[in-house]
Amino acid sequence: MAAVPPVRGRELSNPPSDGISNLRFSHHSDHLLVSSWDKSVRLYDASENILRGEFIHGGAVLDCCFHDDNSGFSASADNTVRRLVFNYEREDVLGRHDAPVRCIEYSYATGQVITGSWDKTLKCWDPRGASAQERALVGTYAQPERVYSLSLVGNRLVVATAGRHVNVYDLRNMSQPEQRRESSLKYQTRCVRCYPNGTGIAPELLHQNHFCSPGYALSSVEGRVAMEFFDLSEAGQSKNYGTFATGGCDGFVNVWDGNNKKRLYQYTKYPTSIAALSFSRDGRLLAVASSYTFEEGDKPHEPDAIFVRSVNEVEVKPKPKVYPNPAT
Amino acid sequence: MSTPSKDPLLQVETTCGSLLYELQIIWDEVGESDVERDKMLLDLERECLEVYRRKVDSANRSRAQLRQAIADSEAELAAICSAMGERPVHIRQSDQNPGSLKAELRTLLPELEEMKRRKSERRNQFLEVLEQIQKIQIEIYATSLKTVLDETDLSLRKLEELHVQLQALEKEKSDRLKQVLDHMNTLNSLCLVLGMDFKQTIHDINPSLAETKGSKSISNDVIGRLAAAIERFREVKMQRMQRIQNLATSLLELWNLMDTPVEEQQMFQSVTCNIAASEQEIMEPNLLAVEFINYVEAEVSRLEDLKSSKMKELVFKKRSELEDICRKTRLLPESDNSMDIAIEAIESGALNPASLLEQIELQIGKVKEEAFSRKEILEKVEKWMAACEEECWLEEYNRDDNRYNAGKGAHLTLKRAEKARALVTKLPGIVDALAAKTIAWENERGTEFTYDGIRLLSMLEEYKILRQEKEEERIRQRDQKKLQGQLIAEQEALFGSKPSPMKQQSGKKGPRMSCGGASNRRLSLGGAMHAPKADPHSIRATPNTRQTKKNERQLNKREDGFAALSAGRRGLDIAGLAASRKHSLSEVEPSQPIFRKPFSPISSTESSKSLLEDFNRKHEMLQKTFQTSSNSTPFITPSKITLSATEDENRTPKTNMIPLVPSTPSTVSVPMQTVATPAPLDCLNQIKETVPEEIIEYSFEERRAGFVLPIAHLKTIIAI
Repeated sequence: MAAVPPVRGRELSNPPSDGISNLRFSHHSDHLLVSSWDKSVRLYDASENILRGEFIHGGAVLDCCFHDDNSGFSASADNTVRRLVFNYEREDVLGRHDAPVRCIEYSYATGQVITGSWDKTLKCWDPRGASAQERALVGTYAQPERVYSLSLVGNRLVVATAGRHVNVYDLRNMSQPEQRRESSLKYQTRCVRCYPNGTGIAPELLHQNHFCSPGYALSSVEGRVAMEFFDLSEAGQSKNYGTFATGGCDGFVNVWDGNNKKRLYQYTKYPTSIAALSFSRDGRLLAVASSYTFEEGDKPHEPDAIFVRSVNEVEVKPKPKVYPNPAT
Repeated sequence: MSTPSKDPLLQVETTCGSLLYELQIIWDEVGESDVERDKMLLDLERECLEVYRRKVDSANRSRAQLRQAIADSEAELAAICSAMGERPVHIRQSDQNPGSLKAELRTLLPELEEMKRRKSERRNQFLEVLEQIQKIQIEIYATSLKTVLDETDLSLRKLEELHVQLQALEKEKSDRLKQVLDHMNTLNSLCLVLGMDFKQTIHDINPSLAETKGSKSISNDVIGRLAAAIERFREVKMQRMQRIQNLATSLLELWNLMDTPVEEQQMFQSVTCNIAASEQEIMEPNLLAVEFINYVEAEVSRLEDLKSSKMKELVFKKRSELEDICRKTRLLPESDNSMDIAIEAIESGALNPASLLEQIELQIGKVKEEAFSRKEILEKVEKWMAACEEECWLEEYNRDDNRYNAGKGAHLTLKRAEKARALVTKLPGIVDALAAKTIAWENERGTEFTYDGIRLLSMLEEYKILRQEKEEERIRQRDQKKLQGQLIAEQEALFGSKPSPMKQQSGKKGPRMSCGGASNRRLSLGGAMHAPKADPHSIRATPNTRQTKKNERQLNKREDGFAALSAGRRGLDIAGLAASRKHSLSEVEPSQPIFRKPFSPISSTESSKSLLEDFNRKHEMLQKTFQTSSNSTPFITPSKITLSATEDENRTPKTNMIPLVPSTPSTVSVPMQTVATPAPLDCLNQIKETVPEEIIEYSFEERRAGFVLPIAHLKTIIAI
């Protein structure tokens, strides 16, 4: 550990042997779930720096998320959606898509798992029916293009696909999108994240504090991030966008003040691209996956690593600037 | 006589001596002979000897008896000692202490007594243990192998052994008791879950089990029967569990499908929360009782019924929604037949209503999308039709001789006529713009724009022809009128009187004004639209009629929002297209009068028309072959060129295939079609034959995973 400069945070031992596709902190503990192209899903105790468990899938794992502290879900390039039970190292196949499953989310509001795939569909699953696949599938919803990213807040679901489509759904009525939109960015959508409802649940890649107006942040391959709002009329009036963190292929993690469209803080450069970010439940820890994301094709690159660093209040707190109505 | 002696022997001796003396005296007196005397004395001696011998014998005998007794005692003692596993102590004593036999016997006897006592005590102990063993054995095995006490071995070791055996048996007994209790507990919980009478069940197995007090039978038989009962119950439980879980699954599905209110679901929460539970996890009393399962089953079948009725209702509703949208957007819905088939399939259970519903939902989505794209043109169509209506009205009005009579509301009519006239002058412009838009739309999508199943362009053509005819008619009439005027003037000159020209004319004019009654009927046929199949050629003009208006109103209500949104890039595109179109049109326009008027008496047009029709037919065939073999090669481009060359004069109105009657050139720009139509086709061919990756974007992950969209997907993308 001493070899690693402390500014980057502590590097976790036993990192995945290939590119990291995603990592997420648990909402209940400092456990960290990591999915990787090496076909594994690993569970770390980030504060103890211990590898707690490992699952090996039939194909690269493109996304993962927690269910509760004892179980989680994974989306794999072998088209399967799996449920993982950490204590028993057991896994069930929840179901499958017709193409690799790109992203997965668990909705606490509906108790469903939502997956997006390159087969141009969204599927909802009921994890209680894990024993029989036909029981688990709740619904399949066609998308205009391959699904690239998903994000949830409350009953809202934002789906970003190829071709810069963005569909906003209400989870209580999935028959058709509440809104069909086009990304305001010029290039392919890379990631979408909803602003939390002031609950402080931290999503990865983009993390926000103090967001008041309901909406989402969208990033493109070009490196730009757009902030969009579910209710268009609100965009102009709303002042409290809050702060969020982004990680790029340049190896930098930046914290932004959405209100003023200013950068609040830039962390020391990481060895290679930032593949994923996640804040712990209390926002004190930030997990950074420094892992080449294949943006320039197959080429030699730095080893994949996971850093866990503590976050100072100063780094993420918006500068006390004059707001008409300051953030609460 | 003699002095009495203390010693009886001495006394006896003295008595014997005195008796001998007495005898001698007697003999002396008798004078017995010496011989006699000796004989007598010998006898006496002999008798005495006899007596002695007898005594010695008896003494000897009693000594032997005594020895025997001692030996017996010793033997007994030894036997007892050996039986009790103790060392015989007295043997050494007898060695050390020879003493008299009687003394020996005396010492021996108490010892023997003691040993006997101890032995009987030991024996009792044995008996007690054996009795217990036997009792337990009977309890366990029902029969006991009547273990007899072995008197020869009453050693402590043996006792110990027996105790061990007893303990083992006791342990087994307690184990068995525990097992029985365990079984009973299991059985109890099973009975509870299955809703069966536990008391009755165990009473049937063994009456002793049902008693709360008293020992329970623990025999093999009872345990076996208990285990069998448990097994049997467990099997029943598994079966019922399977059943109830299946029911729960159906329940969940049905709830999900029908959005059953939570209160209604609450009652069956106990069922559904156990949907994935294992056999051991289901513990709730009566959850698997027959009555309860029947109750749940009844609920499921109730929901099933509800579902089938609701499903049908839903399907109908959705279907009618679809039809409604179709009607409003002037699209032809799929034949109703397919719906009936679907309903039948639902009823017969061959088709899952949910999937059908989804299908319809999908269709609705598609139709809505299409409706959105058609919106703009449809609005224009409505406007056009309204204008046509006004035109017809105006014509009628013009024919009314009394139209200038001042009556009630005459000023309103006048105003309307004024407006209608203005509108009619704009009509050609409207039609042209509409045609241009429609062509742009068709080019953009590669399909025909149909209005109630009829191609809008052909409707416009028809309308133009009608208009042309009317124009001709008007000119002819004007000529006739002029002629008549001349005639009248001549007649007047000859005969003097001058009849009203109007009256003469009105008789002839009526039927000829095609736009009025006759064509109107045709139009209304088009407006009725729902059974247009019969003769598509007869219905192409402008539908007016009330129904259209009604529809329009509904449509407007519904799709106001759409219209606002529709602006965007597409609008721009269309505008651009329209502009360019106009340019090309203006070039062609001058030649119009020459080939228009297909029904006009002018012979030159007649011939050109037939020529044109012939060409069209050929063209159509060409198009068809092209369509069917569209994925072969781009032979289309050359054919297009020839078309445009030859057609400069003929102008097939469209790349499309309906054998059109020649139409107004303004709708159909030749240069437009040569450029626009091949473009998408060319592009299509290109896409199919060259690398698709260049067009489709892929994310880093897709590239890394080597994910390539299948060809089928490509097609759909292009089709869209």
